[in-house]
Amino acid sequence: MRAIVDCNSFYCSCERLFRPEFENKPVVVLSNNDGCIIARTDEAKEVGFSMATPYYMVSDIIKKNGVGVFSSNYNFYGDMSRRVMETLKHVVGEDIVEVYSIDEAFLDLTSFKNSDLNSLAFQLRTTVEKWTGIQVSIGIAPTKTLAKIANKIAKNNKEKSGCINVLDSPRKIAAALKSIPIDELWGVGARYAEKLKELGIDTGWDLYNVSEEFARKHLGGVVGVRLIKELHGEEGLIMEKPLITTKMISTTRRFGRTVTELEEIKEAVAAYTSRTAEKLRRQHCAASIINVFIIANEEKKTYPYKPGDTFSTQIVLPSPTALTNELIKSSLSLTEKIFIPGRKYSKAGVIISGLVPDTSIQANLFNAPSKNAGRYLMDMVDNINFGIRKDMVKFASSGVDRSWKMRQEFLSPRYTTRWDELCKVH
Amino acid sequence: MEQEQLYSSSYKGSKDYTQWDVPVANATGFGAPADDYAEKGIDLNEQLVKNKPATFFMRINSDAMVGAGIFKGDVAIVDRSITATNGKIIIAVVDGEMLIRRLEIINGKKKLVPATDKLSGISIDDMDLKIWGVVTYVIHSV
Repeated sequence: MRAIVDCNSFYCSCERLFRPEFENKPVVVLSNNDGCIIARTDEAKEVGFSMATPYYMVSDIIKKNGVGVFSSNYNFYGDMSRRVMETLKHVVGEDIVEVYSIDEAFLDLTSFKNSDLNSLAFQLRTTVEKWTGIQVSIGIAPTKTLAKIANKIAKNNKEKSGCINVLDSPRKIAAALKSIPIDELWGVGARYAEKLKELGIDTGWDLYNVSEEFARKHLGGVVGVRLIKELHGEEGLIMEKPLITTKMISTTRRFGRTVTELEEIKEAVAAYTSRTAEKLRRQHCAASIINVFIIANEEKKTYPYKPGDTFSTQIVLPSPTALTNELIKSSLSLTEKIFIPGRKYSKAGVIISGLVPDTSIQANLFNAPSKNAGRYLMDMVDNINFGIRKDMVKFASSGVDRSWKMRQEFLSPRYTTRWDELCKVH
Repeated sequence: MEQEQLYSSSYKGSKDYTQWDVPVANATGFGAPADDYAEKGIDLNEQLVKNKPATFFMRINSDAMVGAGIFKGDVAIVDRSITATNGKIIIAVVDGEMLIRRLEIINGKKKLVPATDKLSGISIDDMDLKIWGVVTYVIHSV
């Protein structure tokens, strides 16, 4: 059997943990730059907030209803996520937890008896909540896709399910499939859901009953067949090995205000590049390709949201590098190439890819032999920045006052990662 | 101690180092005779953080517990996985506020008791009391 453990309104639950006055009150978390709502509690759903609503449209309602509003604090959520995952690994064993996202993990429960699954799920849920203060919902079923469905149903009626749903018989699986609308199925995107509805397929159960041929024809070939197999309890998706390294690393931010000057954009790009290079060095890699993009301002505040034009370009580096100064040099010349004067810009980003392990950088005949000196310098910069304060030491090209920085009006303290931001008790 | 570690299901702390992390002298001449006896050294985390995912640090911002040697500005180490029993110093949530107090349970009645004359105890029904975690250590700068 497979389980999915999913944190309930994860970002909001993190914020609530250190702000108990918001217990049982509506709480929302805003996207980077306080753009729109990206997380909400059940109470906030009842007030009527939907996902991706722009903040400026609901700021009055938020004030009137005493809703807790927070800017996204990924330092904090990341640490809380690690705690949840570590707790899961402690209860069931390191090897059978597949961390799927910041607030979800799949568990491979092959070695557990079916009769024990309910009590195991209960133990998992209570231990995670006691240790970390985060409530989770758990769906258990023969395959990942069915586990996702089980979880969704558990979440829809938390009081009745106790946030746990085990689909351990064909009868229960059929009932679950009948109750789940097609557009809520994991792996069925909005476009496919529309198409399937036109073909008369409205629920998971309808999809369960289609032929393999139909899936191959209408659901993107092999992927569709795999999905149908999953619904029938046959494993199409296996447990993934934990990712050792990622294939690309990026840093993208929206500016706090629109930016028009090349110099300011270059500062931002330099800052994002050094952040990206830090992430790169943390996983002991070097990059061979660097890509820079800037996004122009959308003309009006429209809803649904329409992004502005994107300008992007990339180059292959002469040899893989993890050195901030080399990466900044490339990213700044790329920025100059794509910058068009006279336009307003709202966002920029740096993506590096073609990652190779730092220790085995292939020798290149045409390059000066050793970069070790630079690497030591970077290690020192990183040690200071991680150990003391972010950006204590930085490259001058990334600017000193950073007027373009993200807007984060409602940012909570980084309670769990900074000595000077600990939660205060009386 | 070894035996206990082997059979207990409790969290094993933050000892995530391997033998390669134990420093050796790297002497170039005669192998340093102390290398065979090398240890990792004392790690505060090992002593103070028994259960890493469940342990949080908090800053004391009141004189409520001065009698127990806990002063304003100190750092409290709070373990959420420990069960709060009579006499334990805990972080409690009362009216949405985080308080550090000693938990007193007499005949099933729970009370939050400060360690100072300037504040009075708070008696609470089970319903109103939410225990956030149990304080295990306090770091005090002298």
